[in-house]
Amino acid sequence: MSKIEHAVRDIHFITASASRDQWVNLIHPLVKFALTAGYILAVVSFPKYDLAGLAGMAVYPAAVFILADLSFLDAVRRIYPIFLFPCLLGICNPFFDKNTILIFGMTVSAGILSMMTLIIKGVFTVLASYLLIATTPIDKLCYALRMLHIPKEMVTQIMLTYRYLTVLLEEGNSMIQAYALRAPKQKGIHVKAWGSLAGQLLLRSVDRAEAVYESMLLRGYNGAYLYLKEKIAFRRWDVVYGLFWAGVILLFRKYPVVLIAGNLAGGMLG
Amino acid sequence: MKQVRIDVENLSFGYEKGQDILSQISFHAEKPESIGLVGANGVGKSTFLKLLVGLFLSFRGSIRINDIPVEKSTLPQIRAAVGYVFQDSDSQLFMNTVYDDIAFAPRNYGLPEKEVQERTKEAMSLTGTGSLEKRQIYKLSGGEKKLVSIATVLSMMPEIILMDEPSIALDPRNRRNLIGLLNSFGQLKIIASHDLDFILDTCGRTVLMAEGKIICDGPTKDILTDRGLLEKNGLELPLSLQKREL
Ligand SMILES: Nc1ncnc2c1ncn2[C@@H]1O[C@H](COP(=O)(O)OP(=O)(O)O)[C@@H](O)[C@H]1O
Ligand SMILES: [Mg+2]
Repeated sequence: MSKIEHAVRDIHFITASASRDQWVNLIHPLVKFALTAGYILAVVSFPKYDLAGLAGMAVYPAAVFILADLSFLDAVRRIYPIFLFPCLLGICNPFFDKNTILIFGMTVSAGILSMMTLIIKGVFTVLASYLLIATTPIDKLCYALRMLHIPKEMVTQIMLTYRYLTVLLEEGNSMIQAYALRAPKQKGIHVKAWGSLAGQLLLRSVDRAEAVYESMLLRGYNGAYLYLKEKIAFRRWDVVYGLFWAGVILLFRKYPVVLIAGNLAGGMLG
Repeated sequence: MKQVRIDVENLSFGYEKGQDILSQISFHAEKPESIGLVGANGVGKSTFLKLLVGLFLSFRGSIRINDIPVEKSTLPQIRAAVGYVFQDSDSQLFMNTVYDDIAFAPRNYGLPEKEVQERTKEAMSLTGTGSLEKRQIYKLSGGEKKLVSIATVLSMMPEIILMDEPSIALDPRNRRNLIGLLNSFGQLKIIASHDLDFILDTCGRTVLMAEGKIICDGPTKDILTDRGLLEKNGLELPLSLQKREL
């Protein structure tokens, strides 16, 4: 399978995951959106040497992976290229920051420490975002955005972009397949063909996007917000879930729970 | 009772200025006719259907649907009355699940959710797609996509149904099912196709197009059996009428 084919499958997989009836999937989208945003803020705001405190923040993604019955390895396989960014950013730190710091009773280079916190921050942020979209269908997510008074036009754009992304990738994929079938001995695509392929891809996806848009118009779409007219009510569970995680995130942000628990356990054993 | 009809007078249209693809077309139809629109590739069948639902408004002449002229201000009424089934189901279907896609139109027309549900179920049962309700669109086969496409239009309860090459990409069984389905509809139908066997089985009247004009308009059994006429216009006798030596 080509890379694009993988990408299309990944998007379809995430879409399919989001529309399951899992318990977390049914939590009110606004609650999940706010939690994700809050979680990311909390993670990003950790001091740059506080690796121990930061490690505790794994509790939220870990729990959601379990609740949503999603595979962690699968997620990593799907989104690992994104992890490259924080790694690239972090990799310079050891060269600039030559101090040493005592942590878990060991002396380590401050540069390496700050590199690791940066990478972990990046990983947690990406995971939390992934979990949000893998447990919340795009239309419900857009509904949450509307509740936050994000302008209609913008939300509609997000929704359409999401839809056209797969259209674009699928068109690209079928073109590359057609190319490969007629150039069986060649690996990849010859440089000479890139220009025309890219141009074709643009034209084709514009065509396809236009057809999709026409089909929407013909079925009564009038440029206003895309459906989900029925209200999503808040249930008691939504509130409990939201408050619980807000509490946990605050707690873990404020206290190095992992260290304390470690010390306690150590104390009891010793 | 309101008339269900299509009236086209002296219609001319081109995508580019000065290059008319359709010229001086006049055409009338009323419920419950079922009309086959035939002609070689590129004669403008799809263009004609798209004009009827107001996807292009820069035409000359007049198009009236149920006595309402097709123009910018009447598009909502026109589109509520006319269902259009795209040639390419992938363009027609854009929601995630079968149910959501079929429910798209009634939801957009602002119906209460209960009625949306009724119409969606009805459309699914007519097309036999009920078992696909929760399926993801991208996982459907070509034949299933076509049936779902038709259901997305039926849920609008249109009085007129336009179909562009519906039999393309269907295997023989799906094709036969579709013929049965179309023949069970009482709406005014126009089916554009160069699959003449399909037209033979679904349409009582046939309109033959060539070079942007209507060459011939009459009973299907007269037009589709006229070998000379068909061959002159880039078509062949329906396979079922050709004598084959085996
Ligand atoms: N969007 C478009 N822009 C410009 N020309 C078009 C467009 N769509 C179709 N055409 C041209 O119009 C003619 C009629 O096309 P079409 O209506 O699709 O024919 P048919 O459906 O009978 O095969 C063709 O010559 C085609 O190239
Ligand atoms: Mg066509």
